[in-house]
Amino acid sequence: MKKIFTILFSVIVLYAQAQQNTNNLLIKGGTVLTITKGTLESTDVLVTNGKIAQIGKNLSAPSGHQTIDATGMFVMPGIIDAHSHAGIDAVNEATSPVTAEVNVGDALNPFQIGLYRALGGGVTTIHSMHGSANAIGGQCETIKLRYGVKDPEALRMEGAPRTIKFALGENPTRVHGGGSNIVPRTRMGVEFVIRQAFSQAKEYMTSWDTYNKQKNQKGFRGTPPAYNYRLETLADILKGNIIVHCHSYRADELQMMLKVAKDFGVKRLVFQHVNEGFKVAPEIAAQGAMASVFSDWWAYKLEVYYSTAYNAAILAKNGVTTSINSDDGELMRHLYHEAAKTQKYGNLTDDEALAMITINPAKQLGIENRVGSLEAGKDADIAIFSKHPLSIYAIPMVTIVDGIVRFDRAKDPDDMRIVVDPKQPLEIATFREHHGHSHESCLEGAELSFEELFGTTANQE
Amino acid sequence: MKKSHRSPAFGNVLFWLAMSLSMTAHAQQFGQQPQEEKELAPVSRTYAITNATINQGPGRKITQATLVIRNGLITAVGKGVPVPAEAIIIKGDSLHIYAGFIDGLSRVGVAKPKEEANRERPKDPGNPTPEFAGITPEKDVRTAISPQEKSIDEIRALGFTAAQVVPYGNMLPGSAAVILLGGKSVDAMILNGKSALFSELQGAQRAYPSTVIAVMAKFRELYRQALQAKNYETLYASNRAGLNRPTSDRILEAFYPVIDKKIPVVFEADRYLETQRIINLQNDLGFLLVLADVKEGWEAISKIKSTNTKVFLSLDLPEDKKDEKKDSKDKKPEPKAEDTTLTAEEKEALEKRKAEFLALYTGQAAAFQKAGVTFGFSTLSAKASDVRANLRRMIKAGLTEDQALAALTTNSAQLLGLSDRLGTLDNGKIANVVITDKPYFNEKANVRYVFVDGVMYKYDPKDAPKADAAGKFDIVGTWTVTTNTPDGKTEEIVTIKKEGKDFSGSVSGGKLTQAVPLELVELNGTSLKYNYTVQAGGQSYKVDVQATVDATSFKGTAQVGTTGSFAVEGKKEPNR
Repeated sequence: MKKIFTILFSVIVLYAQAQQNTNNLLIKGGTVLTITKGTLESTDVLVTNGKIAQIGKNLSAPSGHQTIDATGMFVMPGIIDAHSHAGIDAVNEATSPVTAEVNVGDALNPFQIGLYRALGGGVTTIHSMHGSANAIGGQCETIKLRYGVKDPEALRMEGAPRTIKFALGENPTRVHGGGSNIVPRTRMGVEFVIRQAFSQAKEYMTSWDTYNKQKNQKGFRGTPPAYNYRLETLADILKGNIIVHCHSYRADELQMMLKVAKDFGVKRLVFQHVNEGFKVAPEIAAQGAMASVFSDWWAYKLEVYYSTAYNAAILAKNGVTTSINSDDGELMRHLYHEAAKTQKYGNLTDDEALAMITINPAKQLGIENRVGSLEAGKDADIAIFSKHPLSIYAIPMVTIVDGIVRFDRAKDPDDMRIVVDPKQPLEIATFREHHGHSHESCLEGAELSFEELFGTTANQE
Repeated sequence: MKKSHRSPAFGNVLFWLAMSLSMTAHAQQFGQQPQEEKELAPVSRTYAITNATINQGPGRKITQATLVIRNGLITAVGKGVPVPAEAIIIKGDSLHIYAGFIDGLSRVGVAKPKEEANRERPKDPGNPTPEFAGITPEKDVRTAISPQEKSIDEIRALGFTAAQVVPYGNMLPGSAAVILLGGKSVDAMILNGKSALFSELQGAQRAYPSTVIAVMAKFRELYRQALQAKNYETLYASNRAGLNRPTSDRILEAFYPVIDKKIPVVFEADRYLETQRIINLQNDLGFLLVLADVKEGWEAISKIKSTNTKVFLSLDLPEDKKDEKKDSKDKKPEPKAEDTTLTAEEKEALEKRKAEFLALYTGQAAAFQKAGVTFGFSTLSAKASDVRANLRRMIKAGLTEDQALAALTTNSAQLLGLSDRLGTLDNGKIANVVITDKPYFNEKANVRYVFVDGVMYKYDPKDAPKADAAGKFDIVGTWTVTTNTPDGKTEEIVTIKKEGKDFSGSVSGGKLTQAVPLELVELNGTSLKYNYTVQAGGQSYKVDVQATVDATSFKGTAQVGTTGSFAVEGKKEPNR
């Protein structure tokens, strides 16, 4: 087989086109899967200034609009991955069981080739998360896959709500209890760490409220409480300003976390992984919590043995807003396959299955008014497939973010790196993603890192 | 009025004779020792370099002119300037004179702290001591400077006469100072004892803050706490009755001059993404920012401009392998192509892209110039032996010689607030001077004299180390090896021994809890190979290091199991 290696100039051509790219498009004649407003045959989608301006039949392109012929193809909202660790240079600050103040948004990396590969699977928005080493990990960042930009700031989905990673079970107990011999060593310890952190945050909030009230009174003499970034952040969770995304597997810990959230008035709660969610789906639904799951991935450690591929369907049928995520650079490239599995295991309808990778993750990230369905006024984040995306024969053809074509199968050169290290020998100029095939890239930086390679052996049992 | 009985010409001859005699003697005895370090004081502290080409500043060249230095200051410069009777005269007929160069960020003269091998991880890694966490902004680099450091002469021999120096460490190693690269004591070397607070986005090893995200969070927290503490101190000072006494906190107090905008924070920012992250911190907190040792700044120029950030560009450049091949045709064995799936066509395309990026690195200075950003240079991570060649590469990539000279002199002086004392050859300025036998940026030019604070250092081109010293080095000894991993830099100590014909050794320090023996050590010409195995997560990983040795340093790659391949650099400790 002769490799077609498209050389440098084609890359330049693509860049030149990207620069010319206005965010004005007319996608003509496709089958439009709106997700929320049904399926529309032979329908056009008009994109103006990066937003969906109109969806209808026989629309004509105003001047300056590029036309994409989608006849015979399927047009769906860009896929949203609610659990990823791509696009960031640091995943786990695994040194303390509570690190609410750290924010992976400080370490955005727009050059990771994995972002382009995800675009090649129709993905347009991802939730780049802190890892699961800590009971309360760091804040996460919702980013748009504007691959090609060089300013890391341009990746942020501006206006997306703040989110934070929590983690229950084996990871935090292994890293901190096993690794450093500190709390939490057990599941009880994890609950204690979270309750203690929230309690301290409550006290912190109260002391500032008191101080702020008194300080304006005449003749007030007093010392302000000491500023603490960690407690500030935890207080923001209690105030409802940050959505909690909680790594969890077992039914008992899900129940525990639901109770903790209730006790501290935390309303915005999304469980991640949730392998035993099927056992407590009604309880999750009753509290308005949500779930983001794997389609069929389990048994990579003890706490994930009790699992089923029906999990997503059972959660959904019980009224839990459910999404299917990747947590992995490879799975992220075919989330449409992952969604399709809910039809074999659970008989979900096309819209229900596709909602798992579009509008539902959008709700979990608090961005459903912007993305997750094809509706006039929403961001023009669009994936075009050769066949119905739930078909095993579907091929992603074009992926559009904010009205700009960021992936086009017809113009897809081999070397899509944005930056090249001139010191790197050719032989290792691999196109391998750093965020690779570990079972849980969640624990990246905490386990399979140099920290471990060159460092502590305490985590081994 | 009667003049002195000796005519000036006669006096000159006498002193010239005395001078040349004493210089020959001393050159033999003391090599490149500064004249003032000898037991005998120099006959005079007045020097005149006559009939030379003088570059008073970028674009200000005068020929057949004289420069007079007296008691550490420049006292006269120009054509037909009278030569004082007591002056030691250097005939400058074929010489070129420049203002001494200024290094924007380096650790020249700063003693490296002894690595406390196998430092024990704190019991609670979330709450390490400030020392372990790398948070010691209260430290003062002046306490670590040693006038005898070898590194001082290394870059002085290139023409550098002043440098902003910073302490070793991680996130907040301490305050920076601007020093003269010569002087009897540390205090005598100081130009500005506290020029900046120094910081790096570098985490602690296995303790909080260990990642870049934690370092950034911690920086914000400390800054805001300092702001709060400072405000409270002000409040307390205005009326103490009924208020609790503010407690002293040396870490927070170190931020006070930053908050008052009396000094900037200077960040080491070699990677592009670091540059962006540091600018974000600056946006959040509003301090005066200096980015130094910038290597990949071209995409950030507009942000640097709009935030009024000051910059020092690194004098380190990635090697140009093509040049190397030309120089030593068949010396180096071609690296083994491990991945044979690459076709010739693919290789060519990959090489093209590498070349395209190499051009961006060498063209960085020209790009900043074109954008109208005033920049200086820094040597922090540059090898002294590469600096002049790198300057030539930058000039070849579009920087003019005057622009390069400005970056080395006037710009740096301006950026460090020292324009009234350094940067040009004008009356009244500190006598920091570089004298070469051909124009400085000419490949064949030799630095012949350097004056620092009016003290002469003489360089004989014959003494210059031979470039072709291959095979004469000794790898036996202790090496500090830095590995660039995606999680940050790790530093290990590799000790190499020789028993009979075979090398052996061990690796320790860094994140290793105990020393690991090297399984193989091989030296073939300049190519060094060694490997060892580490245990982690119940698996063992083989670490294969391949590097090219250059006397006391090496550069290469470390292949770690299937995890990936990372750049490594080694530096040899002097054998004692």
